[in-house]
Amino acid sequence: MALASPFTGSLHGLDVPPDRVRRIATMLGLPEEGLAAGDGRVVALLGDAEAAADSAHWARPFAAWIEAGPLDDAAVAAQVARAAQADLYACLTTATANQLHLAGRIVHAIDSHRPLTESQRDDIELVLHEAISNAVVHGNLQVEGMKGLSVDALDRFSSALAARMADPAFAARRVEVSCWLAPQGELLVEVADEGSGFVPQNRADAATDASGRGLDLITAIARQVELLDNGRRIRIRFAL
Amino acid sequence: MDYGIDVKEQEAVVQLKGRLTFNDHAKLRALIREMLQNKAKRQVLDLSALEFVDSAGIGMLLIAREEMANVDKQLVLRAATGQVKRVLTVAQLNKIVAIED
Repeated sequence: MALASPFTGSLHGLDVPPDRVRRIATMLGLPEEGLAAGDGRVVALLGDAEAAADSAHWARPFAAWIEAGPLDDAAVAAQVARAAQADLYACLTTATANQLHLAGRIVHAIDSHRPLTESQRDDIELVLHEAISNAVVHGNLQVEGMKGLSVDALDRFSSALAARMADPAFAARRVEVSCWLAPQGELLVEVADEGSGFVPQNRADAATDASGRGLDLITAIARQVELLDNGRRIRIRFAL
Repeated sequence: MDYGIDVKEQEAVVQLKGRLTFNDHAKLRALIREMLQNKAKRQVLDLSALEFVDSAGIGMLLIAREEMANVDKQLVLRAATGQVKRVLTVAQLNKIVAIED
């Protein structure tokens, strides 16, 4: 069965068995493997976080990173087809996104496609890190922020986070990051999670809680921010 | 994040290294405990070797400030550079915590 796919690059397995990469490539009608094939865009299929630890795998010609490990072949093929909709695309489990410091990886990849200044790298990494952290902690792991300013709040946050990160039902939920590099010097990024969504609130006591500053930081640095899909997806625009 | 503490007569200087993010909750918990136990009134966090801080890191620094205030100690943030300095500025932390160059 060949799926209709506008994707024209190639697949590259990182700790994924070659016969599996071949099967998925065949489903999509793509060249089997090879970094110079197609139009040069390469989708990395990851076995796990360790497989993608090398920063060379987060730069051209790589343009998408899909954690194949726990998915069946058809689901991976569907992800590869989805990757074609963005210039850069990552779809990883919550545990892997956290372990890899995904925001820094994505900034490294953006920089390899469109060179950034140091302050642009810092700002984009912070905003992406805040968006991905929200998707990981509050979205997929459904851990509440630290209320108040005591070490008790820190302890509660610690134990809730550790428990959820150790629970595959939460840690295997996906974080999806899509980036578009417009020719006019705008960067558009979307970060989506599989949590239950949220409604942003004006909190009068914001200054007295240890958590709740992420979205404010994003808003202060980015050009424009939109929350979509009941808060499960954030769309952020930067001027470059 | 890693840290080392140098306790002097008047102040304790804590050198923070690496990244301070929501993943460092256990380290921050241990650090706050050590800062509460030593005798110095001024607890200085030297941020010159800190490479990255996020909003949760800022929140944990505010918890440290509050815990020090509860026992009549002062928390000071010193020598932030680059991304860390940028975040302290954007979050307007100077309104809440003593910040030194």
